[in-house]
Amino acid sequence: MIMQYSWLIPLIPVLCFTIVGFLGSKMGKKTHYGGYLVILGTAASFILSLLVTLEYTGFIGAGNYYPDAYEEHIDWFTVGNFTLTFGFYIDILACLMMLFASFISTMIFTYSLGYMGGYEDEYQLKRQRRYFAEVALFLTGMLGLAVSSTLLEMFIFWEIMGLCSYLLIGFWSFNHPEGDDKADNAASAAKKAFLVTRMGDVCLMGGLFILFFAMNGHLEYTYVFNVDNLAAAYSANPGLMTLASLLVFGGVIGKSAQFPLLDWLPDAMAGPTTVSALIHAATMVKAGVYLVARAYPLFLLDPNVMLVVAVIGGVTAFFAATMAMNNMNIKKVLAYSTLSQLGYMFLSLGAGGYLMASAISVEGGGIVIENIAEFTAGALGYSAGCLHMVNHAFFKALLFLCSGSVIHANGTEDMRLMGGLHKKMPKTSITMLIGCLSIAGFPFFAGFFSKDLVLDVVFELFEGNINNTELIFALLWFLGIVTAFMTAFYMFRLWFMTFMGEYRGHHCHGESPASMTVPLMILSIFAFAAGFIVVFGWEHVFTFSQVGAVANGDAISYFLVGGAGKVFEISLDPVLELFKTWKTYVTIVLVLVAIILAYLMYAKKTINPGRFNKNGKSALYRTISNRYYFPELYNQLSWKLGYDVARGVEFFDRQVIDGTVNGLSSAVVGGGDLMSKAQDGNLHTYASVVVGGIVFLFVIVLVLFGQFGGLF
Amino acid sequence: MEFVLPALILVPLIGAIITLFMGGSRQKYACTVALVFTVATLLLSLILMITNVNDLSKFDVNYGWINAAGLKMSIILTVDGLSLLMVFLTAMLEVLVIAFSYKESDRPNYFYALLLAIEVGLMGVYLSADYFLFYIMWEVSLIPMYFLISWYGGPRRHYSAIKFFIYTHVASLVMLIGIFSMVFESAYLAGSGTIDFSFAFVKQWMPGADSVFQILVFAMLFFGFAVKMPAVPFHTWLPDAHVEAPTAGSVLLAGVMLKMGSYGIIRVCIEALPGALGSWQYIVIAIGIISMIYGAYACIAQRDLKKMVAYSSISHMGLVMVAMGAAMGGVASGDANLVKMGIEFAIFQMFAHGLISGMLFLVCGTAGHNFGTREIPLMGGIASKVPVYAAFMMFCFMASLGLPGLIGFWGEFGIICAFYDWTLAKDMIYLLVFCLLSLLLTAGYYLWAMQRTLFGRITTKIDVAHMHDVDRVEAVVLGVLAFAIAIYGFWPDLAISYISGYAGGLI
Amino acid sequence: MIPIEYYLTFAAILFAIGAYGVMAKPNTLIVLMCTELMLNAANINFVAFSAFTGDVYGQVMVIMTISVAAAEVAVGIAILLNAYKVRKSTNADDLTSMRW
Repeated sequence: MIMQYSWLIPLIPVLCFTIVGFLGSKMGKKTHYGGYLVILGTAASFILSLLVTLEYTGFIGAGNYYPDAYEEHIDWFTVGNFTLTFGFYIDILACLMMLFASFISTMIFTYSLGYMGGYEDEYQLKRQRRYFAEVALFLTGMLGLAVSSTLLEMFIFWEIMGLCSYLLIGFWSFNHPEGDDKADNAASAAKKAFLVTRMGDVCLMGGLFILFFAMNGHLEYTYVFNVDNLAAAYSANPGLMTLASLLVFGGVIGKSAQFPLLDWLPDAMAGPTTVSALIHAATMVKAGVYLVARAYPLFLLDPNVMLVVAVIGGVTAFFAATMAMNNMNIKKVLAYSTLSQLGYMFLSLGAGGYLMASAISVEGGGIVIENIAEFTAGALGYSAGCLHMVNHAFFKALLFLCSGSVIHANGTEDMRLMGGLHKKMPKTSITMLIGCLSIAGFPFFAGFFSKDLVLDVVFELFEGNINNTELIFALLWFLGIVTAFMTAFYMFRLWFMTFMGEYRGHHCHGESPASMTVPLMILSIFAFAAGFIVVFGWEHVFTFSQVGAVANGDAISYFLVGGAGKVFEISLDPVLELFKTWKTYVTIVLVLVAIILAYLMYAKKTINPGRFNKNGKSALYRTISNRYYFPELYNQLSWKLGYDVARGVEFFDRQVIDGTVNGLSSAVVGGGDLMSKAQDGNLHTYASVVVGGIVFLFVIVLVLFGQFGGLF
Repeated sequence: MEFVLPALILVPLIGAIITLFMGGSRQKYACTVALVFTVATLLLSLILMITNVNDLSKFDVNYGWINAAGLKMSIILTVDGLSLLMVFLTAMLEVLVIAFSYKESDRPNYFYALLLAIEVGLMGVYLSADYFLFYIMWEVSLIPMYFLISWYGGPRRHYSAIKFFIYTHVASLVMLIGIFSMVFESAYLAGSGTIDFSFAFVKQWMPGADSVFQILVFAMLFFGFAVKMPAVPFHTWLPDAHVEAPTAGSVLLAGVMLKMGSYGIIRVCIEALPGALGSWQYIVIAIGIISMIYGAYACIAQRDLKKMVAYSSISHMGLVMVAMGAAMGGVASGDANLVKMGIEFAIFQMFAHGLISGMLFLVCGTAGHNFGTREIPLMGGIASKVPVYAAFMMFCFMASLGLPGLIGFWGEFGIICAFYDWTLAKDMIYLLVFCLLSLLLTAGYYLWAMQRTLFGRITTKIDVAHMHDVDRVEAVVLGVLAFAIAIYGFWPDLAISYISGYAGGLI
Repeated sequence: MIPIEYYLTFAAILFAIGAYGVMAKPNTLIVLMCTELMLNAANINFVAFSAFTGDVYGQVMVIMTISVAAAEVAVGIAILLNAYKVRKSTNADDLTSMRW
């Protein structure tokens, strides 16, 4: 009924972009220069997504599509004899993506009305318009990514998001209200973000090329993620498919800022805070998680790929968390925490995938599940990763918006210039507290459920003794636990430094306007309650039919972890399950200890933070402050491999190639000069040369005739 | 409908002659007159565009020309999937550059006459199906460009113009020798008394020639075309010519004249010399890859915006070279799909690069006119002063660096597809790394250039107060190109559908 | 009948004298006259061959040559006169300004 119109979901924002971008100047102040239109469009997209989701799951409309995917496409163009298609593909993962992306966008755009306000001069008005046009285009990318039906189409939207991320990070890159240094900073951050993600993107592109040919010219999800086709391609050339998965994961690393391409995200905080909330926390960086979840069947072919995913996720979670520990910039702390939480998601997806991949065997005919228990346990990792993705979108958007509210009121991002703001901006303070509790994993808050599910899956592998990797997973589990502790610590450090104690700044406007606080409150409800989705049978929502037709035999049917009809079946078991294991209590205790520690250090100040780091002089502290020297490394690399080589090429071009050409032409000219000396102008010389020449030729002819009897 | 193809050459020719004599008090109308003639040409080319691509042979014409002393040269004009897009591109860019340079005040009648004369040559090259006519038209396009650079160019215009002329002229002489050897050999093989210069005659007999002969002839022809493309190491005329040429000249040079080289390789080398392709594919691909990487690296080091864009042309034409090399491999090994892919996207990339580089040079030229400088280090933060200009610049840079959804991406995508298929067959997948590296470098130099020109602190090295944004005409011209880039980028089939038939019929 | 070798030898001697004059004599007037000698040597050859083969075209050629030579002399002398007006000399060694 509404399914057929799913293509409208990304189309509405692009229309808003066109209208606001090209006609925004005609719209005037009453519409906030297109702001209302964009919010309206986003809300329309959200409602449409909701309707599509409801129809997909059978709540409205005639059919119940779940768990199969609904796909429509048209021919797009041909590459040789291969035809590429363009269409949309709705399954539970796509529904999830477009729901939370459009919902959070609606909230953030509403918030932007207040945050991006300021209509004093013509220039600010233009900026306002540009902002709304660009975020609308971004939303097109995000929603398009969610509903696209082929990998290529997905890649286009993926890159459109990258472009918008570039534009929006560089939003203040000229005419910065705080001066030129900030503008330079924003310009360089935008470039860095685009280039680093581009590094991942070219990997992803390489992966797509390999898949394109391995899959006989198909990139449609229905073909590529069909287990039979995958098994056939894998049997034909396993190395190539593993390479393709790794390259695709390379793209993910770039987009989701995982180790070692994690350095651009903290810099990306140069953009407006709403953009950080939307793009660099809630939606765009999730595209990587989405891609891994989407391409799960591909990644499952080789357990080692899943191991790579898990290790990179775990390492990023840990490293990013350490960097958040001592940062004084409120947005940067949140940025590192985003990295860390994304690491959790990959850890979960990778660990679950490793379990599943170990439980199956790939043969020419198809995929056979050899250990159903392991396989089902692994599927939990998938669900946990996706759940953490949604939860994180809510609480991180909330946290960023709260920090935006604080920044808006204080005019600074430095936490050393805040403090005691709880009294001045109570709404922001309370909502941010909810966000902090949620991300820290305080019991019954959203983050609690997903984080503990993630750690559970990793622990499963630690105990499971599969393929002798238990040591790796033990380490990853340990890193996960430590990261949970650090997360709780740095988030509450942030909250206490900002809202408790004495006010250390210069001036505070007080509470933000309603257009900003109302979205905060709505989001805080979700940040608290989103985790309870597990009692609705979340763990079983994801099925693998979404990635391919349910073809022959029983082996494949085990891919249907939950099976049709199990959507939204209320059961408290998963929650009770969580409280039955000792691991949950370990994390709860760690979180509580961390919160108390933060309280003692930053609110009550009975412990001086300086004693742990020699007052900021210890080597570790400096290393962390310098982000493990990653920016340095990247700078050096890009100068050496980029600019220095370029200078060499330029030198070669000027001196060697052009030198040869110019030398050749000077040789010709010089030779001509030399020869022209023969033209002395004397008639007799000319005459003598002519006669001599004739005689010479005559002699030659005679000799040739005498010798050979002819010229030729 | 036989009038269309001769008219495509004659209309600009008449226009050129008329504009040439519009000196003195009439010179203020020269632009309008030139515009009328180019628009007429564009309309004629639109007749071709709306015709079903399979019916294009109804436009063919064949007039006798020289038929003496055993030589047969005819005026044969024809259009097919390969030339159609090039003709359209030429006609469109001509209209746009003449509109764009409406402010030209220095001897405008000569200026527009030269632009129209270039169009005559270009149309002739793309339409002719007789080697003699092809060669003459090749030279006809060269000479007005020489005068355009040496009369209307920048400070080092004489050096650049001479360099341009000698480079391309030497190349075309070598090409002429190649053409003669082909034609005479064909006549010898055919055993006929007359030496027929038509494409069809050569194509009929040449594939039967000894493969060593084909390889040698390929070398001569390839040299002629590769200089025009231009391929490293025969490229140094291009940055110099671009830097000195007036904006309109640069646009035509990069937009359509470079395509003559790749057009020639497909039309002559690949069509007529199938026996040489197997041995040459590696060299062609190697040159293509080197051009790509070398051009991209050279871009990073440039200070002049226009020079950077010139080097980026070398890099992007390297991609075309790679695609043609892959297609050559396909012809040699009989892989129809690979040939189709390679040729299809070589042509598509030629078209795409025509639009994008046209826009790039217009943008860079505007910088020169409106801000008084094109030096990247002198600019900075100008986005706040000239927002429309900044938007256009960002758009065409993004298109050129291959942002998906714009036309440049599809050229790259298809070409790398073809190239990957080729490496797969030759078991050298690692070569893909070079293509991906060039994509990364391309993004690098464009973004860096944007950061230094548009963003950051506002420059104090040039007079920002007197900087003015693009005017209405410039905005319309740039807007048309931007629209074309976006629309073909969203629906590449609009262009590919013209090419597929030709590309599929090549093997 | 006088054998053709005699004519040819005579023409060759005449030509050699003319060539020597062109190469060695400083006076351009003499040079001009020497060219006439060489031309006439050629004419003698033409006539001789014509007479021996009975082909009348050779004599036609001679008339043609004579008329061309007349025109040439007219032009040559005009140039010499002008050169003399400018340079006050007809010596070939003085007229070298047209070199590189």
